[in-house]
Amino acid sequence: MSGAESSPLTTHVLNIAEGAPATRMALSLHRLDHNTKIWNMLTVGTTNTDGRCPGLISRAGFTPGTYKLRFETGQYWDSLGQTAFYPYVEVVFTFKEPDQRFHIPLLLSRFSYSTYRGS
Amino acid sequence: MSTQRLQQLKGHFLSEHKVTSMAGPVSPLSTHVLNIALGVPGSNVSLSLYRQDTPSEVWSLITTGITNADGRCPGLITKEMFTSGVYKLRFETQQYWESIGEASFYPYVEIVFTISDPGQKYHIPLLMSRFSYSTYRGS
Repeated sequence: MSGAESSPLTTHVLNIAEGAPATRMALSLHRLDHNTKIWNMLTVGTTNTDGRCPGLISRAGFTPGTYKLRFETGQYWDSLGQTAFYPYVEVVFTFKEPDQRFHIPLLLSRFSYSTYRGS
Repeated sequence: MSTQRLQQLKGHFLSEHKVTSMAGPVSPLSTHVLNIALGVPGSNVSLSLYRQDTPSEVWSLITTGITNADGRCPGLITKEMFTSGVYKLRFETQQYWESIGEASFYPYVEIVFTISDPGQKYHIPLLMSRFSYSTYRGS
């Protein structure tokens, strides 16, 4: 794995109610096919103990377009024995220039969430 | 001014208020869009409200609207239509940023939420900049 380049797209899920990473949250990355308007699933993963999910996409695969990161937040709160307002969170983003790197965190509680484009 | 006169005046104001509120009851679901980059309401943002049908999971359009100068959109749904279920508020945020001459990272924002107690009021704000957004369940 030492030769592997890190994914140009990264995420970090934080449970801001607990002040801790959101571990073991299922998530998926999708790309929009602009001709058919269908979302194609590219990757499924689960956040690690640090709330991160390495290896989302390869450098070559991360071409300009419209993507969606879907976080199974409802399942996550369920697994902690709690209810939540949002059954899931989808963040849809788009870019035109090639060779970009994005960091897309998700900060969440049972009744709120926020996201931003980081580096 | 005499107490009687004050009470007369109060009567005028209250009946005005009643007339206004008779124009239609307040929606149990409200939103507020804020442009946090500029510290102003997000006005003229197109939005739409959907409810998810069960068991098909298809989204049914309930309302379309556009935020006013205060970033709000009254009358999203009536109490009668506001049943338990999964709803989606979709905001045409990229259109908004383009209308003020700017690009944005997100082509739109969709917030999906579960209403288990339709007897309550729900306020779902969207605080946004070109490269970030946040939402919470308010009152």
